[in-house]
Order: sequence, then structure tokens, then C-alpha cells
Amino acid sequence: MRIASRGLLVLAAVLAAGYPWMVPNYYLVYAGALTVMYAAMATSWNILGGFTGYVSIGHSAFFGLGAYGTGLMVTRWDLPWTAALPASALLVTAFAVLVGIAAVRVRGASFVIVSIALVSMTNLVVQGWRSLTGGSTGLQVPSPFPGLHRGQGHIVFFYLFLALLALALLSWWFIGRSRFGAGLRAIREDEDKAESLGVPTAALKVAAFALSALFVALAGGLYALWFGSLDPIFVFSILTSSYMVLMSLLGGVRHLFGPLLGALIIAPAGEYFLIALGETQIHLTATGVLLVLVVLFMPEGIIARLAGRRAGAPSIPEESAGQRLQGVAR
Amino acid sequence: MSLLLQGLALGVLTGGLYALLASGLSLYFGVMRVVMVAHPAFLFLAAYLAYTMHTAFAADPFLTLPVTVPVFFALGVAVQRLLLARLAPDNLAMMSVLLTFGIALTIEGLLGTVYTGSYKSISMDYATRSLTVGGVHLPYDKIIAFLVAAITLAALFAVLIRSRFGQALRATIQHREAARLVGIHTERVAGYGFGVGLATAAVGGTVLALITPFLPASHWAWIGKLMAIIVVGGLGSVAGAALAAVVLGVVEGLVLVTIDATWATMMFYVFLFLTLLVRPQGFFGGRLAHRF
Amino acid sequence: MALVLKGLAILTICSLGLAACAKTDEPGATQQQAGQPPGPVRIGISLPLTGDFAEPGKGIQEGYQVWADRVNAKGGLLGRKVELIFRDDASDPNRVSSDYESLITQDKVNLVFGPFSSRLVIPAAKVAESYGMLFVEPAGAAKEVFEQGFTRLFYAAPAIASDHYNYLADHIARLPAGQRPKTAAYASLDDPFAQGTAYGLRDRLAAAGVRTVVDEVYPPETTDFAPIAAKIAAAKPDIVVGGTQFEDSVGLVRALQELKVQPKLAAFSTGPTLAEFPAAVKGAAEHIVSPVGWSARSGFPGNDEMVRRYREMFRGEANEDAANGYTVGQIVEAAVNAVKCAEPTKECQDELARHIRQGTFDTVVGPLSFDDKGRPEQAHMIQQYVDGKVEIVLPEGSKAQTAKLVYPKKEW
Repeated sequence: MRIASRGLLVLAAVLAAGYPWMVPNYYLVYAGALTVMYAAMATSWNILGGFTGYVSIGHSAFFGLGAYGTGLMVTRWDLPWTAALPASALLVTAFAVLVGIAAVRVRGASFVIVSIALVSMTNLVVQGWRSLTGGSTGLQVPSPFPGLHRGQGHIVFFYLFLALLALALLSWWFIGRSRFGAGLRAIREDEDKAESLGVPTAALKVAAFALSALFVALAGGLYALWFGSLDPIFVFSILTSSYMVLMSLLGGVRHLFGPLLGALIIAPAGEYFLIALGETQIHLTATGVLLVLVVLFMPEGIIARLAGRRAGAPSIPEESAGQRLQGVAR
Repeated sequence: MSLLLQGLALGVLTGGLYALLASGLSLYFGVMRVVMVAHPAFLFLAAYLAYTMHTAFAADPFLTLPVTVPVFFALGVAVQRLLLARLAPDNLAMMSVLLTFGIALTIEGLLGTVYTGSYKSISMDYATRSLTVGGVHLPYDKIIAFLVAAITLAALFAVLIRSRFGQALRATIQHREAARLVGIHTERVAGYGFGVGLATAAVGGTVLALITPFLPASHWAWIGKLMAIIVVGGLGSVAGAALAAVVLGVVEGLVLVTIDATWATMMFYVFLFLTLLVRPQGFFGGRLAHRF
Repeated sequence: MALVLKGLAILTICSLGLAACAKTDEPGATQQQAGQPPGPVRIGISLPLTGDFAEPGKGIQEGYQVWADRVNAKGGLLGRKVELIFRDDASDPNRVSSDYESLITQDKVNLVFGPFSSRLVIPAAKVAESYGMLFVEPAGAAKEVFEQGFTRLFYAAPAIASDHYNYLADHIARLPAGQRPKTAAYASLDDPFAQGTAYGLRDRLAAAGVRTVVDEVYPPETTDFAPIAAKIAAAKPDIVVGGTQFEDSVGLVRALQELKVQPKLAAFSTGPTLAEFPAAVKGAAEHIVSPVGWSARSGFPGNDEMVRRYREMFRGEANEDAANGYTVGQIVEAAVNAVKCAEPTKECQDELARHIRQGTFDTVVGPLSFDDKGRPEQAHMIQQYVDGKVEIVLPEGSKAQTAKLVYPKKEW
């Protein structure tokens, strides 16, 4: 069993790494890189969403800040991209800690409202601060690999996004096996009980919030370097975050590979819808209906549906809240 | 000085409209503790229906109301009974947002497909005239919007306070279990509460169509503003939301004439965060929202 | 874990080996097989058919279609039929890149034409530039477009945004001191093109001694213009200038009426040049001026034919957007006929770009030539609604002029 699943993992990794060489043209490499980027962001979103049950539709704020941070450091301060990318991601993480302290004071509906507000606010600031960001004219970021032609650039970024995805997956995997993860799960099951048992819920939530912002900010930074032009309205789009949520839910928020699976379905489907139905806005309806169906009929996701009952233990074991709390509080 | 007065006047008129637009959101939250992200999308659905009425039959947009209000009421009941009531109660707050987000996208896509993505607007003859009182100009279209909002809200309050249904609704909002114990069918009441909320969207959308041009994606700009209003007012409190709407409308109006549009919009979020930090249950509402 | 690493190592080696069979889709790598009859000339275009820019996007699409119809009626480009492939980018810069990426590398089109709006032209031109494709575009007029170092980009209209009002600015500066306006208010949409037009005029008027009393920028989602109008009303300016697209020009005019602002001159970009404008503002259009790059009655070569054919195909009157689309077609057509190639190869595209850079082209917007950055070197005319009709009022004494500028304007 273990060997089989490991073999499967290796096969999947081999297929992923070989993808740019197997497809016939650069457009498909580009679409592949986009898909992997979404997979990395959804997995990262799931560090908060999957463990704690807090649904944020504001993560595109971190994506946009990461992108603009990296872009500004490269263009305004002439930092090399290798320094700008981590520096801006860390700044965004620090910002996420501050926001997190305010945001996790509230639960449920208020938290969602705060997350929506976050996207609108960051968009307003970046669009309004014309002298720094260029406002609606956008920010043009020079390519970090001027020697490569565009198609080769897609291949390089495909692997960079793949590395980010691996990093996000590993983090999720480690958290799932740590006391930190157990504490987060306790929050999801019964936050009040966890708190009364001495779990430092606020600190844990802020940590999860910040960590999940970190990888999304990295994805944003890579996106800025790859794509080269940033426009506030579209970088800070609530649609981007809703895709992260939809992908995670569709695949299964309690499973390591859930968001990845969701991304592999949603991102290519989105591209297809736009090309096939692109002349009208019916593709929005397709996305909307899919979201409604998933929430109504498959809130646990595809993996839970397929594997959950058959193979037994999902990645986050189904134990009772009481058992888990004992494990954490000890 | 006259500029500030002008900003104040415009702010009050706009705030009145905000109160109507946000009242539905407060109702939904009250009866079900859900955030209905699709409310602004329904507003613009109503706006497009009014537009069709106006262009196809050259009729006054308000003549759509006898049709749209009952239809939206039925839609609201349907959304609550067929969709939201099916969600698992343990994570209702989060899942309801996603569900209604999906509904909003669905409506936007359909509007875009039927009406195309370009701006539409209804312009009535009175759209460019204004009433001048002591050097302050009050545009007629905004006065009409304010009056319609005031009448609708007054009717809504009358229903909530006077009628048996209103009492049952308020009981459901205040304490669901207790309401059930005294024999109120809280499920049914919640459904009707949703219906009433969506019916206000029919009126609000029609008014909106009169005073601004709109396109299918217009609803995004309203989600954040209206959410901020109901949080500041106190989640679930219709009266609180109405007060907060006028206050925020005035703040917006004053900032618009003194600073600029970016800061004016930003004010909504500043007030939202201040409220959450200082008084998470909202400034005008009760203790209801405390844990939400 | 170690296994995974080993797998990855093996994989890297394998993929390096596979690199030998790398993509064969460099633009132009698909050559015509010798002996086969050449297929149609396929032209890839992404346009905002939905979203914020849907209205002008549609106009440009129609202009392209009229051009293709005319070319095919004459027997095509180099004897090959022209086929247009449209994609919708929903006014989204991510989509626009994605579209040109797939048009160039997957559909392997022969040529590409530009999309609408400065906001979308830059990301689109980046893709075209990096695949070495010629990029003639109908709508990227903001000055930033020409500062990106593009070598194959040309803007197919008479002048860039900041020069649109030049004739008006000159006219005002030449007025006798007693008549010359003293103060001006500016309100502009937060958009590089719209701001470009308004600020071009602002800077010239400021230099001529007209004081700026209001200078407002509003975000694209603005629908309530009363507060901006209130600010303008408080300053009582002689001139009101709107850096606008369509809906906001209508909103501004309405709000200015509501707040009883009566300037001596009102200038708005884009909006008033569209046929829907007079109806939308209900008679307030009288004496509003706008820069316009094209006139239906200019008599430039091919113009009458385009106007007539447009009416037949779309049952309406052609507008400036359609004319700009048509102009792109005319320029590329002239270059293709001169260079005698329409292939996506680097050699052919370079040759086309070189030809366009040094030539002057007869188009429906007049003769066009370009500087080394792709900027057009001509000027926009100024139109005004006089007695409900659109008249060309500036430049004074030109062939295109149909009436004299009315100043001060009548009250709205």
C-alpha cells in the first residue's frame, strides 16, 4: 500500500516535471504554468481554510501585494529579483500578521466580510497611490531572464511554480503532523472548547493566516516577474481568491492533494470555457453554478467522495473533537 | 462652506438610498446568520428588468415594481428553502458566503449574456434638474431615490413592528430556539424573511437604475460598501444598518467634496475595521452579532 | 522522500535529453509545404467584447470586419483570402496575454492586430514583441505605451493622447486677452488614455496662463458624479474639461447640469464622438467639443467606401473606433503588398515593421507616418455639436473644417 502510493506520487511528479516537454506548443506550457500557480495558491490557502475552517476570500490581497512588492523592489530600487521576491513575501507576511490580529478577533460571517474588505482596500491603496505604483497605468516589471525568449521563460516559470507548489504541499504535510496542526484542527471543531482548554487559539490562527499568506505572496511575486505587467484591478481581483476557494473545496479541504486536484480541474476548465464560450459572459455563470453545486452537494470534495470511505484514513484523521483537544491540551 | 453643505446634502440623500440597499442584508443576517453576497447582484438584476420595461414598453421604471416585488419575494423564499436551508448548520456562515457568491456569479454571467457587457442607463426627463434650497442644489433624481427608500423602509418597519408576521420574524431574529418553543415555525418565517429581504432588492435596484448607469459587473463595487454598513450598524439590526447607512453616506459625501473618491470609498473600510476593533457588535445594533 | 528526490533527478536527466525534441512552434516554424496552394492569411485579434471596454471593443471589431470584407472583395492579401480570428479578453490584461499567446503559438496566425485600450495594449504588445510579431494597434494612445521599448508597435491614429487637444489649446491661446478664459476645471477618469488627453490640454492651457482651479481623478467604478460637479460648481471655472470614456462623460454632463455649472467651454474626450451621446444627455450636447481623429466627411482615400460598407454591414453609422480598426487594416495591407509577404517568420515581420516605420500611409484618418517609437506624427481635429450636428471646427482653414467654433457655449 505504502509502496503503491509512493510509486503513484513519483509517477505524478515525473509527469509534472516532464509536462513542458510533452506538450506541442508554448501556449500549453503557459497554461500549465498558470495551473500550477493556482494549485500552489490553493494549497497555500488551504493551510488556513483546511485546518481551521476559516474561509477567506481575501487572499488575492496577498497575491497582489506580493506581486506589487516584488515589482516595485525590482523597478524602483533595482534589487535583484532573487532578493526582491523573498523580501516582499516576508513583508507581506508581516502585514498578514497585523491584519490577522484584527481579523481573527471575529468569526464566521464577520471574518468573511473582513476578508472581502481587505481586497477592496488594498486595491484602492495601490490604485490610488499613483506616484509609487503607477496607478491605473500599471507597473511594468522587466523580465528576470532577458536572455531567454518568451517560450523558454514559460518553461522556467513552470518549474519555479512547481517548486513553490512542492513547498506548499510539504508545509501542509508537516503541519498536519505537528502539534500546531492539531491545535488548528481543534479550532475548527470547537473553538470555545479549545480556548477553555488552554489552546492559544488566537496565536495559532494568526500563525496559520500569515503562513498561508506567505506562499500566496510568493506566487504573486513570481507572477509579477513572469507576467511583467501589473494592473491593480486585475491583480487584486476577488475572483482570484474565489478560485482558490473553489479549487480547495472541489478537491477536498481536508486532504493534502485536494486543492491541487481542484486546480487541475478548474484552471484548464476555465481556459477552455473562455476559449469555447469566450464571446459571452456565460463562462461566469458556469463558474457560479459549479460553485453552488460543490457547496450544496460536495462540500467535502472529490477526494473525500472517492477515497474517504474506501481507503479509510484521510489526511486529516476523523477523530472526535474531544480526543483531539486532549492531544493538544496535554 | 457652501461646498461642505452641498456635500452634506448629497451625502444624506445617498445615505438614504444606502439604507434601503443594506436593509435586505440585515434581514438575511438576522433570520439566518448568513451573509448574502448575492444581494447586490439581485439589485442589478432588478435594475436590468426595470431597464427592459423602460426600453421595450417606454414605461416608467417604477411600473416594474408590481411584477418584480412579488417575483423577488418568491425568489428569496426559494433561495432560502431550496439552497441555504440545505447547508450543514455547523459551518453555515462560511458555506453560505460561497453559495451566494456562486449565485452572484451566475446572475452576473446571465446578465452579461443577455444584455452584453456594456453600460446601460435609464434617463428620465427629470434626471438633469435640481431643486435649489439656500444655495444647495438637490438633484431631483436623488430626491426621488431618497423618498422611495424612506417609504419602503417605513413600510418595512411597519410590517416588522405591527404585523404578526413581523413579530414572529423579530422573535426568530432575537432567539431562534425560544421562538420555536412558543410555537413559531421558524423555518417558514426565515424563508419569508428572505423573501422580504429580496423584495427590498427589487425596489432598491429599480431606484438604482434611475440614478446611475450600470453593467453586469457593477455589483462588485457594492458588496464591500453594503457589508461595511451592516457591520457598523450591528449585524442583524435593520434599524442600526439604516442609521449607519446615513452616517456613512454623509461621511462619504463630505470626503468626496473635500478629498477624493478613493478616500471616500476607503472610509467605509476604515469604519468597518474601527468597528471590529472597538465594538465588534456594531455601533447601533444589539448584542446579537457578538459571536458572529 | 529519498525516492522522490531520486525520481526527480532521473527525471531532470530525461528531460534534458528530451530537450532535443523541443517545441517546433517558434513563430514561423510552420512553413508552407512547397507546391501546396497557400491558405488564407489568418489574422489573430483579441478584443474586449465584454467588460468595461465592451462598447469601443465592438466598434473596433466592426472596423476590422469592414476592412477584411473590402480586402477580400478586391481578391485578398497577396491573392490569399483574409480570415480574422477574434478572441474575447473580457477587458482583462491576463486574458489579453493569454489570447495572443495562444493565437501566435497555437493557432499560428500569420499576423496580429491590436486590442482596445492602453491598459490592454501594453501586455498584448509584450507578447507580440517577444514572439517577433508586427503589432499595429488601434487604441493604445497613452504615452506610456511608447515608453516600453517596443520595436514593432505602431499606433494607427493621428496623434497620441496628450496631443489630442493641441488645436484647441492653440486656438484658446490665440484668443484676444479680453475673451480668453481665465480658469479651468479638469476631471478625469483614472485611465492612462483619458488622463493623457485631459492633462495634455491642462499643461498647454496652464502654460498659456489659464489657471487650474479643480483637478480631479475618479476611479473607473464611479457612477455618481454629483460630488465632483459640486467641487467644480464651487470653483466657477470658465472651462470644464473631462478626460472621459462614454458613461462617465454622460454622468458628468448630467451632474454639471444638476449643479447648475455653466462654463463658457466644455470639452470631453471620447464620449461625444459616439453616436449615442446626444440622446444620452438629452439635448445638452450642444456646443460640447471633443478631439476626434476621424470624420465621416473628410474625403480621405477609402473613407467614403468604408462609411458606405459599414452602413450596409451593421445598419448604423461608423464611428471613430471603427475607423481606427479600419486604419490598422489599411496600414498592414499596404505594408504586406509592398514587402510581398504575410508570414509569421521573423524576417517577414521585421521587413513589415521596417517598411511601416519609414513610409507614409494613406488611410481613412488621413496620411499617417510614425516616429521611431511607433508614435503617429499627425494631429487630432476638434469637433463640436452645432445645431445638433457634429461639425469639425478646428483646425481653422483646413479642408476638413465644416463650421466655426462657437464660444462661449450656450447654457445647458
